[in-house]
Amino acid sequence: MKNQGRTLLQKDGTKTVLASLLSIVIGLAVGSILVLVVGLFSDNLGMASAWEGIRLIFFGILSTGRNTSGSLTWGFNPQSIGNMLFRATPLILTGLSVSVAFKTGLFNIGAPGQYLMGTMVTLAIALGIPVSALPSPVIWLLAFLGGMLAGALWGCIPGLVKALLNINEVLACIMTNWIAANLVTWFFDANKMFQNTVENTKSSYVYKTAYGRTMVDGAWTYVDGSGVQTAKLGLDKIFPGSQVNAGILIAILIAVGVYILMTKTTLGYQLKACGSNRHAARYAGINDKRNIVLSMAIAGALSGAGASLYYLAGNTEFFWQTYQSLPAAGFNGIPVALLAANNPIGVIFTGCFMSMLNIVGLQLTNLTAYNEYITDVIISVIVYLSAFSLLIKMLLSSRKKGKPAQAAPDSPAEVKAVEEASAEKGGERA
Amino acid sequence: MRTMESENIIEMLHITKEFPGIIANDDITLQLRRGEIHALLGENGAGKSTLMSVLFGLYQPEKGIIKKNGQEVKIHDPNDATALGIGMVHQHFKLIEVFTVLDNIILGAETTKMGFLQKKEARAKVEALSERYGLKVDLDAKVEDITVGMQQRVEILKMLYRDNEILIFDEPTAVLTPQEIDELMTTMKEFAKEGKSILFISHKLNEIMAVSDRVTVLRKGKYIGTVDAKDTDKQSLSNMMVGRPVQLEVTKAPARPGEAVLDVRELCVPSRSHKKNAVNHVSFQARAGEILCIAGIDGNGQTELVHGLTGLEKSSGGTVTLCGEDISHASIKHRGANMSHIPEDRHKHGLVLDFTLEQNLVLQRFNEKRFQTHGFINQGAVREYAGQLIEQYDVRSGQGPVTMARSMSGGNQQKAIIAREVDREKPLIVAVQPTRGLDVGAIEYIHGQLVAERDRGRAVLLVSLELDEVMSLSDRILVMYEGEIVGELDPKQTTVQELGLYMAGAKRMDRSGKEEKGA
Repeated sequence: MKNQGRTLLQKDGTKTVLASLLSIVIGLAVGSILVLVVGLFSDNLGMASAWEGIRLIFFGILSTGRNTSGSLTWGFNPQSIGNMLFRATPLILTGLSVSVAFKTGLFNIGAPGQYLMGTMVTLAIALGIPVSALPSPVIWLLAFLGGMLAGALWGCIPGLVKALLNINEVLACIMTNWIAANLVTWFFDANKMFQNTVENTKSSYVYKTAYGRTMVDGAWTYVDGSGVQTAKLGLDKIFPGSQVNAGILIAILIAVGVYILMTKTTLGYQLKACGSNRHAARYAGINDKRNIVLSMAIAGALSGAGASLYYLAGNTEFFWQTYQSLPAAGFNGIPVALLAANNPIGVIFTGCFMSMLNIVGLQLTNLTAYNEYITDVIISVIVYLSAFSLLIKMLLSSRKKGKPAQAAPDSPAEVKAVEEASAEKGGERA
Repeated sequence: MRTMESENIIEMLHITKEFPGIIANDDITLQLRRGEIHALLGENGAGKSTLMSVLFGLYQPEKGIIKKNGQEVKIHDPNDATALGIGMVHQHFKLIEVFTVLDNIILGAETTKMGFLQKKEARAKVEALSERYGLKVDLDAKVEDITVGMQQRVEILKMLYRDNEILIFDEPTAVLTPQEIDELMTTMKEFAKEGKSILFISHKLNEIMAVSDRVTVLRKGKYIGTVDAKDTDKQSLSNMMVGRPVQLEVTKAPARPGEAVLDVRELCVPSRSHKKNAVNHVSFQARAGEILCIAGIDGNGQTELVHGLTGLEKSSGGTVTLCGEDISHASIKHRGANMSHIPEDRHKHGLVLDFTLEQNLVLQRFNEKRFQTHGFINQGAVREYAGQLIEQYDVRSGQGPVTMARSMSGGNQQKAIIAREVDREKPLIVAVQPTRGLDVGAIEYIHGQLVAERDRGRAVLLVSLELDEVMSLSDRILVMYEGEIVGELDPKQTTVQELGLYMAGAKRMDRSGKEEKGA
């Protein structure tokens, strides 16, 4: 309407994007300082390595290795970019999971548990159905839907507890995370058939889904290449040598779907009304309890879908002794969502960014004497700064409008969320 | 005789303050004399609060200067204002709930010795002040445990503790009971007698006439004029404020009550704070074409009664029949089919503040066929409907349908709720304190709407704490006291005094309507 009068810089969306970019830049800068300090104080590193490390932190995704004279080379690296897209797939979905819950006023720290339950059911279906029984696209679809359903059911638990007993969802989510972690371990421990005995170089891994359950000489066994794998749809031609597959396209489609759900439908309207003001929603006759459960179910389904798409790739292995650790893909959904300011479309980009950091870490390990844990530090800094991004946005607004009170909608809850997330992450490493 | 400079303790000259898209203060001049109570009058959004925020250093004006005792001063932040002896009681108190009263008073102005708090000295000073002005507070109570009235006294003591000589009161009476308002007025007069200067922001004409020496009127950011209170009256002040002749009294034709729309029998609603019923065996009927008013002092079960009727809380006994259908245990949505509800708390229940105006206008109706197709919202239809309501009910906002509800003025937020609820065209309208915190222009409008709805044959159940409103608007009055209906009165036959006796529990009627000895 009257937006024409406002410059691009004054628009709320621009401020959000600027704030997120700023926190990313600060995070990368802190990582660079770390690289510099470590470089100067280690014997096997030096100023030259530090400079290489810093360049890799910023542009690692474009690194193509070293030439014969030993200096770094740069350019389009299809393998890195393909792998980035592949690893972004689960992050986008867990990011969506967290952001949908946020929009409904809930903090879904249960994404790791939902992710694990999704993993378990997906693998059980993909590896459990004999390849002769059904065509493999059907098995793929069943496994995918099963994973989503498992995540949804697991997400329902904290939702129900919150709706019916008014117990904080964060508490219930953390508990269900560890229940899931132990349940999954128990399941694969009990069902020995899924344990990978063919590639016996490593223990405690489940078969990749590329292995199909086949009857050979009257006994069930797993045969490589006969199982289910997500179609590549030609993406492997664009990004040769990478793990990328159509999963990223599905993730993007789901993100667009979530965007439409939240902005264009009556269901999204109800969910947001409950999230913004539960009392007003109740007053208007909206069933707030149902919406809390529904929101957590959708969030869980998205996390579950993330797990399904990651493990249905066919070339990913699942380490089933999860009882001591929760999957990072679940927790990293939180910074992905926060950096994107809970915008489903933004989540696509922040998810890719987070997986890019992952690739950068690998490049650091491969090309220099640094290890990938530097990128974990960067991610942690960005997690903290994503809370600051709200602060930065507030500052940007107050300078322009002079009304700081109105520019801080629900930031305290989100700041708290970040703190809790970081605390939980710390626990995971311990 | 003093010179001009020393007569005015504070002068705000030609102040202009702009926000994007709006000029909040347009060349406003305000002169505060030493020892006077100066009222600042204006409708919501007239720029009163902005002007005071400029004086208190919260905003910097684009144009204009501020003088103290004739000397130009720059006020960059509230610390500068405090240093100049300016103190402010904000409309929403700035107290820390978990701190004690004493801690709140000394916060920011603590007496310390080598970095250690000297609470004894502070306590002595606060006690002396509280004694001297009769501002009773419990210094060791936590702020969250004391009444709103006492919280306000804490705010006043904060200003006195800092030896402020210029006291700003921003709508101080909005949250007080009638007795507390009287006490406040007395205290204010005492301050003025001692030579302190008071700026009193309000839109309640009665209070302004009662305490102030002079009145400055603002309208839509512009300076309208300054008048001596003794040379003016309520009617001309309200005309100045609104810019047109305003009707202070409600005009309405006699009611022509029809059939009972709402029939409440022996309704009980449990209390949240204690074990007794907040609503105890209440029975009444609301008839079509009639404004039935539930009067009473705040906290006598009116809120719970409305919650029991609208379904926000479960009733523990009795029946509610609406349009011939028993809705005692129906869902809120189901009840909404025949009832619209203007809620008591517009921020808690009435609006989703982070939604746009248009989204708020379809809060109950988004699921109607007109506004959705297969679960997808018909954005065009919503926008069109919102535009229609905005125009019909004159809801003013910065950006029309896409304005955030949070950024709208209180009066326009309430107008939006009235528009939404009235336009749903339900046989029963439950209106709880529909004019609380609003200015005369908006009150006139809302009263007009409720009378119009009555004349259209709807039953209006009005819950109000304002005696003036009860007496002028209602066709029949029920008085609630301690969760029970203690009297049914005809506003034409009764007096405010008699109504007050019932409200205070000093008089009550038995079930047949005869007066009995008070409880």
